[in-house]
Amino acid sequence: MTTPDTIPDDDGMTSDQQMALDYALGTLDRAERRSAEMRLRSDPAFRALVAGWQAALAPLDELTPPLAPPPGVWDAIAAEIAPARPTAVNGGWWQNLSLWRGLAIGGPVAAALAVAVVTTPLSAPAPVAAGERLVATLSASDGTPLIAASYDPARGAVSFAPVAAPTATGDKVPELWVIEGKQPPRSLGVIDRADGSHAIPAGRLAGLKPGSVLAISIEPLGGSTTGAPTGPVIATGVLSAA
Amino acid sequence: MSVGSARTPGGAALAALLARSADGDAAAFRQFYDLTSAKLFGVIARILPERGEAEDVLQEVYVTVWRKAAEFDPARASPITWTATIARNRAIDRLRARGSRPSAPLAEAAEVADTRPGADTLVSNQQDAARVQSALGLLDPRHADAIRACYFDGLTYETLALRENVPVGTLKSWVRRGLVKMRHALEAAA
Repeated sequence: MTTPDTIPDDDGMTSDQQMALDYALGTLDRAERRSAEMRLRSDPAFRALVAGWQAALAPLDELTPPLAPPPGVWDAIAAEIAPARPTAVNGGWWQNLSLWRGLAIGGPVAAALAVAVVTTPLSAPAPVAAGERLVATLSASDGTPLIAASYDPARGAVSFAPVAAPTATGDKVPELWVIEGKQPPRSLGVIDRADGSHAIPAGRLAGLKPGSVLAISIEPLGGSTTGAPTGPVIATGVLSAA
Repeated sequence: MSVGSARTPGGAALAALLARSADGDAAAFRQFYDLTSAKLFGVIARILPERGEAEDVLQEVYVTVWRKAAEFDPARASPITWTATIARNRAIDRLRARGSRPSAPLAEAAEVADTRPGADTLVSNQQDAARVQSALGLLDPRHADAIRACYFDGLTYETLALRENVPVGTLKSWVRRGLVKMRHALEAAA
């Protein structure tokens, strides 16, 4: 492409128009693609040319038969996106990949919680009082909703729908955490297994606000002794106004 | 932009799922994946016939979409066009990085095509498909074939010129002129 950009060649296109078309079509070699991508970052006019061709070519995708990917692809995606958000910050032990990969369902407690959600009817909603009532859907890493949580500021309690069925076995218990922005997870205590409601110590209520993340990990009896989740995190969800 | 979100079936629903994904809603992102992944995997597998490689790229693409979901602008592209463009670019980058490719991806893709009824109802646009078919039908068949080979298989002009036994300059003219004609026909029909 030695033609000056203002002079159309015998295809009736400027060299920029050609490059935009070739990039959108996908015919450039590796070095040419890198060069086009640098232009894309720095040159809005070139970006518009490329976008125009991408949109014009997109209907061609209708001619490609869809192909169902194997289920393992989603599992790999879920494992990768779990640590990135919603606590996407620099550093911090809680971003440890192996910890968050534990979001994948595993172990008897997780299974019991999941089953409880399916088989137990929702408990009656707690009375609404002053303050903002918050809800969150806690999901496994694959996006499967596991537990509906509702925070009632009047009672200082989080209700689960319903995690109550005390079928968690052995010497492990679920522990509730709240994660505010870039802060490390803060324990809200071991989840009571006697009923569907979990009382939170008054001193720990501050972080319960829209946008904070609730998480449940599996811990030894009595809860984590380190102040941080030590077992697999089985579910997370973002709090929002009810 | 000739393919606006408003005219794309399911565009609004997909855009809403992307917006929720941008807020960290993994369940919404899972739905987005379920609705779009067969289409994207078809696009990728046609460029990268080796299945494991295509799966790697599909994974990369969705991780990218998750991280960039907040950058999606429904005023500029439909969600499926935006996502499919990322998928094609990643597949072509992988192909170029490798240097060569095995042939005959179409037969393999056709064998395992997703035939679930309604699997792609949100991302498929039969009208677009018909329009693009008829626009390609206006071209010299060799030119239309060259366009398909570039777009679907990710070939460079040089590779395709060798295969067609024509000078590279000739092949570029076929493809570029053909695409300009196709685009005019599509925009006239829109």
